Amino acid sequence: MKPFKEESLKKKTLKNRPKRDLLKDSQKLGKEMLKDLNQKKSPVLKAIKCSLDNSLYDSKKGYLVPKGKKVSSELNVSSVQKISRSLFLLDILLGNLKSGAVNTKRELYYISKGFMKSKTFYKPLDFEDQSDSDAIIDFICDMFEVYREEMNCFANDRGGQTYSKNLIVTEYLQKGEKAVIDLSSLGTTPFQPKNKPQQFELKAKKGRIDYCIVIESEGTANTLVSNGMTKRHNCIIVGAQGVPSNAVRGWCRTIQDQLNIPIFFYGDLDAYTLQNIYRTLKAGSASSLIRNSDFSAPNVHFLGVLPKDVEKYDLHCYEVSEKDVSESRSLKKAKDVLKNDPFFQSKKNKKLTQILKWLIKEKRRCEQQSVFSINPKNSKVLEEFLVEKIETNSYV
Amino acid sequence: MQKITKSSTAEYFAKNLQQVGFSSSTKAVLTTLKESVDNSLDACEEAGIAPHIKVKIKKEGMGSSKNVDLISVVVEDNGPGLDEKNIAKVFGEYLASSKFGRGRCSRGQQGIGISAATTWAQLTQARGVHVSSKLKNSPKAFCVVVNMDIKNNKGVLKNKTSFHWEAKKQGLKVEFLVDGRVQLKGEGGLITYLEGTALVNPHLELEYELLDQPFRKIERVSNKVPKIPPSSLPHPHTMKLGDFLQHASFYASLSLKKFLKTAFSRITDKSISLMKEKGLTEGLLKKTVRSIGEKDYKHIFSLLYEIDFPKPSSQSVLAVGEEALAESINRLGDIDFFSVITRKPKVCDYKSVIVEVALARLNIKKKEEEGIQLLRFANRVPLQFDKASCAITKSVESVNWRAYGLSQSKKSLPLGPYVFAVSVTSPFIKFKNASKETIDASEELVEEIRLALMQAGQKLKKHIRKEKNTADLIRKKEYIEKFAPILIQKLKDITGASQKEIEGAQRGLYAILSKDTVKAEKALGDARQEVEKLKAKMGSRLTYKTDNEAV
Ligand SMILES: Nc1ncnc2c1ncn2[C@@H]1O[C@H](COP(=O)(O)OP(=O)(O)O)[C@@H](O)[C@H]1O
Ligand SMILES: [Mg+2]
Repeated sequence: MKPFKEESLKKKTLKNRPKRDLLKDSQKLGKEMLKDLNQKKSPVLKAIKCSLDNSLYDSKKGYLVPKGKKVSSELNVSSVQKISRSLFLLDILLGNLKSGAVNTKRELYYISKGFMKSKTFYKPLDFEDQSDSDAIIDFICDMFEVYREEMNCFANDRGGQTYSKNLIVTEYLQKGEKAVIDLSSLGTTPFQPKNKPQQFELKAKKGRIDYCIVIESEGTANTLVSNGMTKRHNCIIVGAQGVPSNAVRGWCRTIQDQLNIPIFFYGDLDAYTLQNIYRTLKAGSASSLIRNSDFSAPNVHFLGVLPKDVEKYDLHCYEVSEKDVSESRSLKKAKDVLKNDPFFQSKKNKKLTQILKWLIKEKRRCEQQSVFSINPKNSKVLEEFLVEKIETNSYV
Repeated sequence: MQKITKSSTAEYFAKNLQQVGFSSSTKAVLTTLKESVDNSLDACEEAGIAPHIKVKIKKEGMGSSKNVDLISVVVEDNGPGLDEKNIAKVFGEYLASSKFGRGRCSRGQQGIGISAATTWAQLTQARGVHVSSKLKNSPKAFCVVVNMDIKNNKGVLKNKTSFHWEAKKQGLKVEFLVDGRVQLKGEGGLITYLEGTALVNPHLELEYELLDQPFRKIERVSNKVPKIPPSSLPHPHTMKLGDFLQHASFYASLSLKKFLKTAFSRITDKSISLMKEKGLTEGLLKKTVRSIGEKDYKHIFSLLYEIDFPKPSSQSVLAVGEEALAESINRLGDIDFFSVITRKPKVCDYKSVIVEVALARLNIKKKEEEGIQLLRFANRVPLQFDKASCAITKSVESVNWRAYGLSQSKKSLPLGPYVFAVSVTSPFIKFKNASKETIDASEELVEEIRLALMQAGQKLKKHIRKEKNTADLIRKKEYIEKFAPILIQKLKDITGASQKEIEGAQRGLYAILSKDTVKAEKALGDARQEVEKLKAKMGSRLTYKTDNEAV
């Protein structure tokens, strides 16, 4: 394998993020609101607007950053419910921070319900379903520009199943305890990062790891491992399990920063994978503008499936008919992405844009597993396909 | 018409009763009632009497054939009554009417309806109509049975007896015994007809007893007997060439100039000199109508259309009027709010018409997806059949009611607990058929009705919006009561601020939140005041009317 040239990156993990004292910040906010009210002035709460139209692709940094638009809620009859709810949930979150307790969003939903049930005073706040309380939690985070994880609130994050014969992960726990996990001691059972993957310390067991591959389908990632790829190659294999969760995004970022190795993504050839999965992994998303800096891995390359793979191996494709509603939606998506997504509009990502144009022109889509049709008798066909592509620099 | 012999006329109608409203046993009862009530109303108006009509419909037993009942239909009025000779004509002869081609907005026009009812009674029950009559100033009343000599189109009177009609000054009472079936509600229902008639006749006092339904009396809300406008001369723009030639034939001996000036409304010396400027020669003007050739007629006719005559006189068109309609619509039931519009007279299809619209929301719990009730009227007579092809229905469907706050699926009648009443009045209404059930949907008429509907819709929108604002205000007040204490409590929990600071904030919060509601309350207050003012104004007018115009 040719030596891989990768620009060296400064180590930057969440640990280096300036510590926020949310208790203090919240008090400050509350005091300002009280002051306004005492002067019969409507307090205004401002939060970063998390939407595609407020996203800018910073090609130097490599991820989506906010443009500067804010959503502001001025206290009035129409917003009094939202603001009351925000203060109510903020108080619960602050309680968790004080005691060190953590919760998922769903748990917070039920905790809120519990308060409302036991005290009729809070009844008017009642959340009809979890999406109501989730929206408030997101608003609080966007307002303080703080990660949900820093509020001790974790999602039940999917994906990130990781396999390697040469990786050691150290997790620092509370009170100076630590856990050291040697991934080579695991079989086909993965190591799965959760919650705050940026807190891990990573190192190679021996020398340097060659590369990391993130596979869209977790099942396919496991197939590669079961068939022996990690035994034959000095690499890390990660299963993304669809749209990368915060955990997957933070984990890939940690691998990128700490191990300083090339990372590749392999998935389906269609607009959904390109935007929702690959772009989110590489540059973050519009709804998480405040945390893309720590939850994206800008060095990830798109390994495939590439249009040229389809042509070279005559891979089986699905026609995307314009008549079928759900299929034509995927075509429309490709067009929308070209039009609205700042990531794909950047010159730096011209090659990805060309892939989108190819999709629109060909009206086809190709799945990551189609490679298995190249040689049905060879169980290592995908492994060989991927390795050859890495060695011949066949990626974007 | 004149050429048809009388005998063939009666035979023709006897064979074709379905064409004039007797196509089914339910329709037969409705038509019998309708022709009688319409006649009473016409007769009262003609005589300047505020009508007081009593209706009684009863099931007397089984009808003469399967599935029909024997129904008695009794209608009594306080009109001028009829003498013997006229009774025979009116009830026993077709095409005997005092209203032929008079260019008036009366209900009956052709002298067909009531004779058809007599025919129906005679064909199904072998007896004509029983009529009681009392003429003004005559000491005694009389009653008589009118049978129809169908062969000769002639009424035959039988069993005439005179009697003392207790406490009756004058009037006519008709009693039909017919085969039929009674339908009370819905499109072709008797109640629908009676309520509709009351709506567009605010001066009508109506009592009715239908089958075993409780007796009901609808009081009059106006004492003003509409003066049926004098029949008017045709406006020059209300004619097509054929009409023009026929009209001219009645004035054959006059000079053209005289003909133009006397046989039309709105043609003056000034308009004749304008026509002269456009090429009408003095010679032609001096010629007698009889001696003018067809080519010249065509020329004169086209010249008429080059001149802008003033609009036809609205006097020939009778309108209920917005005030009276507003009063009357409240008789329909528990009305939440309503809007009424009376348009100015307008020439549509060469005829002057007045369109009136009343939209009312009933205070009943009706499923939102149920359609509105559409009441159609032509010359103040409810139209109850063939809704779909009627000009009125087409107009209602063409309006986007969602813009006014109602629900509606595209190009159909809107939904909700509303009554839409649309009345078209004109000396010459064009119906689609002889039974006068649907108004011909010409483009011009549909557009005129549409304009009226949209104006009424605008007014309705104000009410609906006001209602929405009220609901908003209530919601806002609730919000303040619910959330303000929580907000303050949470600020206290998070900041640990002093009681004094908290109390100050609380005052501030209530001040801020109530700003919104004060604004909304003021807007509502203004609207309420306006309604009160309007009511007060209408009230005083109404008393004025009773004082001065009581009959
Ligand atoms: N109830 C009544 N009281 C007085 N006159 C009546 C009454 N009913 C009918 N008439 C007279 O009889 C005429 C003929 O009535 P009808 O045959 O119904 O024809 P139309 O109503 O079309 O004129 C009316 O024009 C009216 O002058
Ligand atoms: Mg009549």
